[in-house]
Amino acid sequence: MHNNLKTKFCGMSLDSPIVLLSGCVGFGEEYTRIQGFSNADVGAVCLKGTTLEPRLGNIPHRVTETPSGMINAIGLQNPGTDVVINEIMPNLDKTETRFIINISGSSVEEYGEIAKRFDDTDIDAIEINISCPNVKEGGVAFGNDPDMSYRVVELCRKNTTKPLITKLSPNQTDIAHSAQRCIDAGTDGLAVINTLMGMAIDTRSRRPIIGNNQGGLSGPAIKPIALLKVHQVYQVSKHHNVPIIGQGGITTVNDALEFIIAGSSTVGIGTALFYDPLICNKINDGISQYLIDNKLNSIDELVGTLTLNSAISQCDTSSDK
Amino acid sequence: MTKENRGSIQVIDCQILAHYQFAGDQHILTMDSPEIAKATKPGQFVHITVSDALLMRRPISIMSIDAENGTFDLLYKVVGEGTRQLAERKIGEVLSVIGPIGNSFKMTNKKRPLLIGGGVGMPPMISIAQSIKDSDYQPFTILGSEAPFPFDEKAANNAEDYAGATHTMPLLEDWGVECRLASLQNYEGVYQGYVTGLAKVYLDGLSANELAQVEVYSCGPHPMLVAVAKLAKEYNLPCQVSLEEYMACAVGGCAGCVVKVQTESGPAMKRVCVDGPIFDAALVF
Ligand SMILES: Cc1cc2nc3c(=O)[nH]c(=O)nc-3n(C[C@H](O)[C@H](O)[C@H](O)COP(=O)(O)OP(=O)(O)OC[C@H]3O[C@@H](n4cnc5c(N)ncnc54)[C@H](O)[C@@H]3O)c2cc1C
Ligand SMILES: Cc1cc2nc3c(=O)[nH]c(=O)nc-3n(C[C@H](O)[C@H](O)[C@H](O)COP(=O)(O)O)c2cc1C
Ligand code: FES
Repeated sequence: MHNNLKTKFCGMSLDSPIVLLSGCVGFGEEYTRIQGFSNADVGAVCLKGTTLEPRLGNIPHRVTETPSGMINAIGLQNPGTDVVINEIMPNLDKTETRFIINISGSSVEEYGEIAKRFDDTDIDAIEINISCPNVKEGGVAFGNDPDMSYRVVELCRKNTTKPLITKLSPNQTDIAHSAQRCIDAGTDGLAVINTLMGMAIDTRSRRPIIGNNQGGLSGPAIKPIALLKVHQVYQVSKHHNVPIIGQGGITTVNDALEFIIAGSSTVGIGTALFYDPLICNKINDGISQYLIDNKLNSIDELVGTLTLNSAISQCDTSSDK
Repeated sequence: MTKENRGSIQVIDCQILAHYQFAGDQHILTMDSPEIAKATKPGQFVHITVSDALLMRRPISIMSIDAENGTFDLLYKVVGEGTRQLAERKIGEVLSVIGPIGNSFKMTNKKRPLLIGGGVGMPPMISIAQSIKDSDYQPFTILGSEAPFPFDEKAANNAEDYAGATHTMPLLEDWGVECRLASLQNYEGVYQGYVTGLAKVYLDGLSANELAQVEVYSCGPHPMLVAVAKLAKEYNLPCQVSLEEYMACAVGGCAGCVVKVQTESGPAMKRVCVDGPIFDAALVF
């Protein structure tokens, strides 16, 4: 691993700024099936969204390709908190990377309970998913209500000393306000953004392709939106030293750099793995080279270095079509 | 997942060596990869990038391999944008392939495998036939198609007539694997009806001892698999089926490709890509 990629995130020491995203890499081991893939090449791995009780998830189809991306509605299929703690976590190779559990509840209390259970384990951090678009209760219903978000984060904060990362939904009007409330409630970090809600229709049957009718859109299609959201959240989070895992459609080195410049301390890779399972080292190499070329010693020196254009031009409106 | 699965799947840039088009928009694609040719077990598939324009890969079964020359063959039908773009790829072009993926068929002590493939569900059957052609198994293969067969069917050397079915697939004939064809269309030497109809004719011609040696293996459209599973149940035969579902990662990471499977502890959602694509028919239908 390149030395200049080492970074700190919410108190964790990471070997790379890459975080593998929840729901894309199962419970940490799945991608190691691929020859040449190693969890040691990324800073952290977010495990699949976990609920208190086991969930079977949604009916098929659960995934479909859409222009420059995909829609998923997995429905948080997971074996439940106890199985994750007792059967999955003991097999994680903690020498390779840091592991973050991603948690989802259908009530404030349930989020609090799951956080409490993971507090007793050797998990490195807890990511609160208040932005899952694919379950009926909880998920995005919490994330779109800043007061509910506050209460979820507040209770989790009370119940754990682990680093807490709150994953924000782009499906809301004022993400920066929501971020502020989560910071007030004690989150250590923010994940920006979860998927956007979308739909795809089979014109032959005139039915939605996705079994759940709608799902979360990810991949390059959402990148410009995600980038703006990161920029907006950073305007708030920078005043509190709350770092961001920037994510949403990152597929190239340049994408990753854009997110870092906009204010992300780390960058999430999800859907891009489905295209290229060996993408992580390409992004590691590219970021490292960029730092060298720009005479920067570490990622920290690049985070949030965006210079905005001075003003919106009033004189030339000819392009405002 | 256990650690022994680590590194079992490769990501390889494979060159296209041959690409034939058949009637009914069916195509056979031959790709260069000694690694995949060497590692593939019957019923496994590859996850293939079809073009630069479509980022998501498409899952396609491995039909046959040439271990000597280090190549493998796919048979696919154009059904949408992804397969359409794949059909445009030319000899010499290089595509990214992930594979081989999946759990593969289990060959058991039943020495008379009955292989039933429908449409582009034929490849996994051909792959089984290739893997047991030089063994003490006595397979019987039934291939069904409503589009013209993606090969030139010819009369079998063994002149056995199964209710009008006398013709076979030349490749299987070369391998010494008995095969008959079925279609609702009126093709010469082809059983006119469903694959399950022809299967009945075959099974009813077996002695009780021979019947006890049959295990059914099948891949094809969903309604066909349901009918095959029903037939297997009627004849009290074990039956393994290869299933399809939309996929994203194809390595077990996203839980996008699940089917409902009965387990001892009740229904479970199993991933077609790594828990399958082969399942016990009795547990999925
Ligand atoms: C394990 C496995 C093995 C397969 N083997 C073969 C084979 O040997 N030959 C062959 O012709 N086809 C095979 N298929 C089906 C093949 O993957 C689909 O026909 C193909 O993905 C369709 O893509 P499209 O873009 O042309 O179609 P569209 O209908 O436009 O596809 C839209 C989306 O749906 C997905 N999709 C549509 N139909 C299927 C399907 N039946 N299975 C999985 N995903 C689907 C596509 O991948 C894509 O994401 C297999 C599928 C699986 C899961
Ligand atoms: C198949 C799939 C499953 C997902 N499951 C979860 C989940 O369980 N919890 C969660 O917080 N986010 C989940 N996500 C969202 C991703 O973690 C990520 O935030 C999003 O996909 C945007 O990044 P990307 O475009 O790089 O994939 C899922 C995404 C996909 C594609
Ligand atoms: S396609 Fe991702 S788990 Fe099967």
